[in-house]
Amino acid sequence: MIMPRGQPLLLPVNPVFMGASLVAALAINMLPLGRAAWMPDLLMMLIAFWSVHQPQRVGMGLAFMFGLCMDVQHSALLGQHALVYCLLVFGAVSVRRRLLWFSLPVQALQMLPLFFMAHAVALIVRLISGGVFPGWSMVIAPVVEALLWPLISGLLLAPQRRAPDADENRPL
Amino acid sequence: MPLGTVDRRAPSLFRQGPSLLSQMAFYSALALFLMVADARFKLTEPVRQVVASVLYPVQWLVIQPVALVQQGAGYMQSLEQAQAQARAADQRLVQVAQSAHLADQLLDENLHLRALLALREHLVSPGQAAEVVHDTPDPYTRRVVIDRGQTSGIALGSPVLDANGVLGQVTRVYALRSEVTLLIDRDQAIPVFNPRTGARSVAYGDPSPGGGGNIELRFVPSNADVVDGDLLTTSGVDGVYPAGIPVARVLRVEHRADSAFSRIYCEPMARVQQARHVLVLPPVVAVEDAPTAQAPATPAPVAKAAAAKPAATKAPEKTAKPAPAAAPARARQESPR
Repeated sequence: MIMPRGQPLLLPVNPVFMGASLVAALAINMLPLGRAAWMPDLLMMLIAFWSVHQPQRVGMGLAFMFGLCMDVQHSALLGQHALVYCLLVFGAVSVRRRLLWFSLPVQALQMLPLFFMAHAVALIVRLISGGVFPGWSMVIAPVVEALLWPLISGLLLAPQRRAPDADENRPL
Repeated sequence: MPLGTVDRRAPSLFRQGPSLLSQMAFYSALALFLMVADARFKLTEPVRQVVASVLYPVQWLVIQPVALVQQGAGYMQSLEQAQAQARAADQRLVQVAQSAHLADQLLDENLHLRALLALREHLVSPGQAAEVVHDTPDPYTRRVVIDRGQTSGIALGSPVLDANGVLGQVTRVYALRSEVTLLIDRDQAIPVFNPRTGARSVAYGDPSPGGGGNIELRFVPSNADVVDGDLLTTSGVDGVYPAGIPVARVLRVEHRADSAFSRIYCEPMARVQQARHVLVLPPVVAVEDAPTAQAPATPAPVAKAAAAKPAATKAPEKTAKPAPAAAPARARQESPR
């Protein structure tokens, strides 16, 4: 892949770390914190992140399975989160070649419409199937997700930024 | 060179499976199919059961820290608060004991009267105490999860009460957990009875913000006798809820010129937002008709039952008039105040 000038070459990703991060995000989403429409969906962010950075490893099948888990846990319509995550993977993989040329804040800005679209799809599906409108506070969720994008990018890429040959001066 | 020796497959770099668009089309179609199957035909319960069983350990693990924090917060509350609570509980116990004596007496009398009249005996159904584990995070519905499931013998469709009145109905049963749809959920309906006027109607959940109250009494004519502050109890005609349990209090009655019905906003008696300890009763018909074949009709999904209820309510069901059963309920409703 052609890379932007001045970016360090990353180590290959550890699949165990990827899987663990996704499962941890699922667990955090399962925290019983009550019914709040503005709560950002951490699993959604991580699926978008990994499908931008590792599209060969995070496919739609995985996103679909995680979506089903979320549906059962949230007692939502079965397939709602699955549909949203699949559309998100599609959007993220479509924009990834362009996205990675930008700095992190600009990346966040470009992810914002994607997250908005994901939440809008969920809303439309649920309103069609006869749910109540959860209130305008749900607009906060995609904004928070976009704001957290630089943070999770820094955190999740940190293991790949370690030194390829560790010595006592650079142990990590 | 023989043909079979050449590897004709594409090199691994180019073998990337179906294209992204076709993948998306496939999975979206699958998701849509699942949603329709779930919402319309209720076909997906086995899938839910399996996924829920797989997720249960993770969920249990995740709930522990939150429960710990809640317990810690409860532990840290001040001594005066605890003493005040204990005093209030004592007072309440005295009042309840008084009404319980009265209820015992009435029950006894009632049994004799019913025996004299050769009526069906009113069954006292044994309840199961349960605890609300958490609200479901789905913001489009109003449900809670309780810590009793199939292993404790919870039946689909069981009414759920808290200390003040009806809380909702069990709408999904897993192995160790059940989901209770609250009265304020949009799809939840409950037949009610107004003890002041003797009128029956059906109350529907209405959680939309700005409505005031969270339950709505629909299809009540504008000239019907409903005033603010009326108490509504279960009517007992549905075969699910026992008769005479407080359901809601009328908040506001709006007469509208454009409709033959008035809008009646009610407020649930149960603490639907912060319910903690609840009681799960078996559905009435399941208790009464357990040996007969009618029992499976009871735990039908709420939406279907709701469609059938207005018709059932309007029919003159004088034979099953729950007046005797309503008497202890009235005593109960007066006691907390």
